[in-house]
Amino acid sequence: MNYDILVVGGGIAGMESALTLGDMGYSVLLVEKESTIGGKMILLSKVFPTLDCASCIATPKMASTFHHSQVTTMTYAEVEDIRKTPKGTFQVSVKKKATYVDADKCTGCQKCEFACTVAIPDQYNFSMVARRSAYLAFDQAVPKKAVIERHGSSPCSFACPVSMQPHGYVSLIRSGLFDKALEHILKFVPVAGSLGRTCFAPCEKECTRGELEGTIQIRKLKRFASDHYYEKYPEPKYGPPEEILDKKVAIVGSGPAGLTAAYFLAKGGYKVTIFEAENRAGGMLTLTIPSYRLPREIVERDIKNVTALGVEIKTGHRVESLTGLKKDGFDAVFVACGAMQDSKMKVEGEDLEGVVGAVDFLKGVNRGDKIDLTGKTVVVVGGGNVAIDSARVARRLGADKVYIQYRRSRAEMPAFDVEIEDAIDEDIEMQYLKAPVQFTGENGKLTKIESVNMELGEPDESGRRRPAPVEGSESSMRVDLCIVAIGQRPDIASFAENDKSKLTRWNTLVVDSTTLETDIPGVFAGGDVVSGPATVVEAAHAGAHAAVYMKRYLKGEQLPGEPLQQPLPVVDRDEVLKRQSEYNTLNPIKRNELPVKERVSNFREVELPFTDDEARYEAGRCIDCGGCSRCGQCVAACQAGAIDFSMRDEIKELEVGSVVISTGFELFDPSRKVQYGYDKLPDVITAMQMDRLLAPTRPYNTVLRPSDGKIPDNIAYVLCAGSRDHQVGNKLCSRVCCMYSIKQAQLIMGSLPLADVTIYYIDIRAFGKGFEEFYEQAKQMGISFVQGKVSSVEEGDNGNMIVQHENIAGDGKAERTEHDLVVLSVGMLPNQESLKLLSGGVIEEDSYHYVKEVDEDHSPAKTSLEGVYVAGTSAAAMDIPDTILHSGAASALAAAHVERVKK
Amino acid sequence: MSERRIGVYVCYCGGNISDYVEVEKVRDAIENEDGVIVAKTTMFACSDAAQQEMIDDINEHKLDGLVVASCSPTLHTFTFRGVAVRAGLNPYQYIQVNIREQCSWAHTDLPVQATEKAIHMVRASIAKVRLTQPLDQIRIDTVPRALVIGAGISGLRSALALSDIGISAFVIEKTDRIGGWVAGFRRMYPHDRNGSDLIAELHEEIEKRENIHIYTEAEILSKSGSVGDFDVKIKVKNEEVSLNVGAIIVATGFVSYQPSENEYAYGTDGVITLPDFKELIDNSQGELVYKGKPVKNITYIYCVGSRDPSGEKGNKYCSRYCCNSAIHASLVANDVSSELNQFHLYRDIRTYGKYELLYEEARQKGAIFINFDENSPPLVKKSNGQLNVQVKDVLTFGEEIEIESDLVVLVTAMEPRENKAMNDVLKLPVSLDGFFKEVHPKLRPVETVINGVFIAGTAQAPRNSAESVATALAATAKSASLLKKGYVELEPLIAMVNEDACVWCDKCSEACPYSAINKNIHGEKEVAQINSALCKGCGACVPVCPEGALDIKGYTDEQIRSMIDAMEVLL
Repeated sequence: MNYDILVVGGGIAGMESALTLGDMGYSVLLVEKESTIGGKMILLSKVFPTLDCASCIATPKMASTFHHSQVTTMTYAEVEDIRKTPKGTFQVSVKKKATYVDADKCTGCQKCEFACTVAIPDQYNFSMVARRSAYLAFDQAVPKKAVIERHGSSPCSFACPVSMQPHGYVSLIRSGLFDKALEHILKFVPVAGSLGRTCFAPCEKECTRGELEGTIQIRKLKRFASDHYYEKYPEPKYGPPEEILDKKVAIVGSGPAGLTAAYFLAKGGYKVTIFEAENRAGGMLTLTIPSYRLPREIVERDIKNVTALGVEIKTGHRVESLTGLKKDGFDAVFVACGAMQDSKMKVEGEDLEGVVGAVDFLKGVNRGDKIDLTGKTVVVVGGGNVAIDSARVARRLGADKVYIQYRRSRAEMPAFDVEIEDAIDEDIEMQYLKAPVQFTGENGKLTKIESVNMELGEPDESGRRRPAPVEGSESSMRVDLCIVAIGQRPDIASFAENDKSKLTRWNTLVVDSTTLETDIPGVFAGGDVVSGPATVVEAAHAGAHAAVYMKRYLKGEQLPGEPLQQPLPVVDRDEVLKRQSEYNTLNPIKRNELPVKERVSNFREVELPFTDDEARYEAGRCIDCGGCSRCGQCVAACQAGAIDFSMRDEIKELEVGSVVISTGFELFDPSRKVQYGYDKLPDVITAMQMDRLLAPTRPYNTVLRPSDGKIPDNIAYVLCAGSRDHQVGNKLCSRVCCMYSIKQAQLIMGSLPLADVTIYYIDIRAFGKGFEEFYEQAKQMGISFVQGKVSSVEEGDNGNMIVQHENIAGDGKAERTEHDLVVLSVGMLPNQESLKLLSGGVIEEDSYHYVKEVDEDHSPAKTSLEGVYVAGTSAAAMDIPDTILHSGAASALAAAHVERVKK
Repeated sequence: MSERRIGVYVCYCGGNISDYVEVEKVRDAIENEDGVIVAKTTMFACSDAAQQEMIDDINEHKLDGLVVASCSPTLHTFTFRGVAVRAGLNPYQYIQVNIREQCSWAHTDLPVQATEKAIHMVRASIAKVRLTQPLDQIRIDTVPRALVIGAGISGLRSALALSDIGISAFVIEKTDRIGGWVAGFRRMYPHDRNGSDLIAELHEEIEKRENIHIYTEAEILSKSGSVGDFDVKIKVKNEEVSLNVGAIIVATGFVSYQPSENEYAYGTDGVITLPDFKELIDNSQGELVYKGKPVKNITYIYCVGSRDPSGEKGNKYCSRYCCNSAIHASLVANDVSSELNQFHLYRDIRTYGKYELLYEEARQKGAIFINFDENSPPLVKKSNGQLNVQVKDVLTFGEEIEIESDLVVLVTAMEPRENKAMNDVLKLPVSLDGFFKEVHPKLRPVETVINGVFIAGTAQAPRNSAESVATALAATAKSASLLKKGYVELEPLIAMVNEDACVWCDKCSEACPYSAINKNIHGEKEVAQINSALCKGCGACVPVCPEGALDIKGYTDEQIRSMIDAMEVLL
């Protein structure tokens, strides 16, 4: 046996049981699902009838439990399953939830908490205030160790191809930490500015806010961060790493893939040289993407992020042989030369002057070739972003008429919607379901294009419906320039020839899908040259990915080696939306672009940036799906180096002699009693919230009513809110509400001496030792007790609450009494989780879903399964003294069981 | 020059301290203090690495004193005591100085002064450490036997539970039969179990146990020794028996309130108490008959002997069991005779928790509940042989009701049982309500201030049978906590006597709230002696001693004076 006794739940019942059994000399494992023990008692203000401060009497209990030599306390852990063995012992599975904080290193200093950028409703203050995602439950938490709340990967972060944790920089921008936002992005890619303009933002498609008013404009926030940072820091803040290793790496191509691989390899201390065939660095960032979408200076600043590390870029240097590079002394090679060769249409007349490939066309424009299309008619063939880019560039070069012919319909068009809309705004005419069949010319120069209408048939292998020509639908038109944008291929014939590199049928390089290594050892490849034409962000991902395995290769490790850690599973968006009953309406900032007139004749950037305020507002729409945003502020703040995001949940299998279930109760959800307006009326709160407002560790340091922060002076207590009430399906009395309400009333009289307190009740149940005397004391203090059940709470004209109730001791009529704060004395309900602990449902519940005590007369705390005992409010509503006694009973019976199984 | 070899560690707490206190300056200020061999700063004193460094230093420099200036002792006393123990240093030669909460956090606006204060505090602690002596925890061997006083359901269940855990039980019972109140009950709430059966089942099981002895007609005569090892003398019939036990569980039960003459016409034929009524229905079948007359109308008057704020008629407290018990009795009465009209005259119905279901069932079966105000209680009269109860019903806004009743049942309180002889021996304090007083009503309800003596059942407060059994098991668990390990360990920070100075004037023993000081013979004279098992180190004895012969270990006058001197406070 690993432990004599397992105690499930570290509230007052669990602590009392663990201490009692530990004192007897039994080894006890106490498992608590929260990050601290103490349960609900530690959250209370004072306790009846002694008016002891709950913290003052619970904290020492918590400390003794945690420090007890016989008690092992496992917090932030959940018992998943308990199975009885034939020996009478129990096999237990405990899930130790990842805290992402190394408890041995954490000193409880809270620096992570102060640095954290995510606010979460504080369950320990019943959502009246927020806490952070990195947090200590409260000052008296035991153990005093931080945890980071993560529900899983945020959908945006999970969708990001480079895993740059968009939730993180959104969170940083929201907090006004603009510099930090970009530094966060730079942990994942060097081409931050370029991605801020060009990323297709798969994150935005997954954004949970998208289910409400519209997705957060994450991509544009990234652009905001880079604009802000690059303006402030024209040069990177860092230089080459201190330690340079004696290994050299060659990278072929300076596009996003090459730059990103170079960035990470150089950071690792490797000497990196990039070979670029063109005379300027940047690959598709500078050669094909037009500057009205991606200004050149942004790309240049991105490239500085790489060159600052000591990376050398040799432009105008075309690599013809990969093995040659290795012979030149490079220890490893990364091929990222993209897919820069235009695909051919194989249509008659394609060789005519005036029919050009889109890449060639855009490259020419970006090189600065003088091209004037004034008065010309241009047809662009294709439906991707390159087609749109070509058309819009043609418009900017003065073309009179620009058409886009696309053989499928708008729905199938792969270009971004925004791009298509912008093109249409710029008077570019879309000709869907149309494709050229022949180019004709005069003197070798294009003059006419003949096209045919298409119709869509069955879906092809890409899932899009296959277009087929409609016979007899041919038409022709005059045209000066036709730009063919139907696809690109890598230009790597030389590698196939010189290095015998293996190519696919799409003319791309063959690599190992895990390591990105080609069939030449030490030569890796990624980006468009492997995938065919794709996006900037996918290329950057390939670069980052290759860098990981290249470093392993360079260190002489066996490839692939340890698998890379997968991100946490993505959180379910519906679950996220269910966390709150409603969310504030926050509409997205409207798209803001240069007016068409001001942009079609030049290459000025079309999209206008967010202001600081807009950026913070837009980022503030984030609902923190995953909990922690992974912004990394805690990591930077923690001097002890305790934060560890690689931590994962662990399952421990244990054998124990006996089990004590002390999982506690749940509070009645007052929104179920709709007449009391808890959901609608801000000044209707629960007594648990009032207890927090009265506690020494209270959130506002005084009692305030929520609607306007006024100190209330006329407070009503509504007893039996959800108890003794068939309407909500709870016939039972909750035993504690009368007394805690009287306690709170006394405390209010102490802290707000001018306040009136009225308690509306059916019967006052002051039945325990010293309770009746406590009730008498309350009456002496001037607390008013009105016998009569409250039927409803409404808002009056002046914003105060109107309590409708019977006044039995008066004339028995229904009365409406005004109060400025209404406290619902909500009762206890069973925590039905405890019944799921045992697989096969072998512990019985009573008719009210509490754990059934099968022999209350002889052996209270005994359940239907010998060896499993129940302590405290898992068995029935009860107050603290009765819980202590009940825990004592459970302990005596558990000890007896252990003695039996040990024999 | 001190011979001591002291290590001092001043913690940054990762900025929590060093943001306001100049940690290096503190170290510089104290590193040349007398006796200081090692003086270091550390980022986190509590980190594993820092702990290991301290252990290495203690071993390498043969340190015999340790001062850690960091956070609150409540946080890390155990941590650094552990460091000391692992390094072979006596844990009571380590002192924690709280320069975080008391310097850095308290004086964020005055960093210079915060640093000064920290220096003073560390100096004071160094001064104290110079005077520390190694102390050992006080270990007392315990005997695995317990005495249970009272053989009601609480006492019997305790005995059985003790036996289950391997602790022998001696049960002494004043009367000649076991089972107490419950043995006389039939159907009990809420599970309708038969009380006499419950006792019989317990008895049968007890009979099988070799480690349980029941003595009837027995009383406690004396008790000596201390926690875990008491010598007890009992009188069984006319014989004296000596027992050696580690713990005592007092389960002496309650008595039922006897209404005074004419309280609700008590004494008049037909006005009976709840226990009498229960006996009546338990012995009735088919028809309810009282003294030969059939009973149709029953009126219950609640809170008789309870909830009297003045305390003039009965008790101030609520007796807890009675609402449930009376309603349950009325349901049993329904089963005896279906023709009954039952009227419940109550103040508040306190069928707490699941007992609410009893209240509901009674209403469904036609019981009439009438709410009276405490200031206008019902009036019971008998005229022409007919009992009449007059009551003003709050629920019908003060309507005057007169109920012709065949029986009036006074729902009477539970009261503490007088146990003078026993309590002369045990000296247990009682609460204002007359029941035995627990250490803390919230958290320590079965323990008493007398270590090793526990209270169970209705001896502590009114409650029903099942609840009493829970307290009996809780008292058993606490007894086992004490006895199961075979020894108890107590903090050594207790009083000590300088026998040469002591003149036994008795002032200290009068001041001691724990009766931990006895007279002893030292050489030729009488001196005070501290019972280390009883002393809690509260210090109440020290200032009353006219000879200055008393001190608290770990907090001696000399140590405290040295600390004050070391502070060098300039006024």
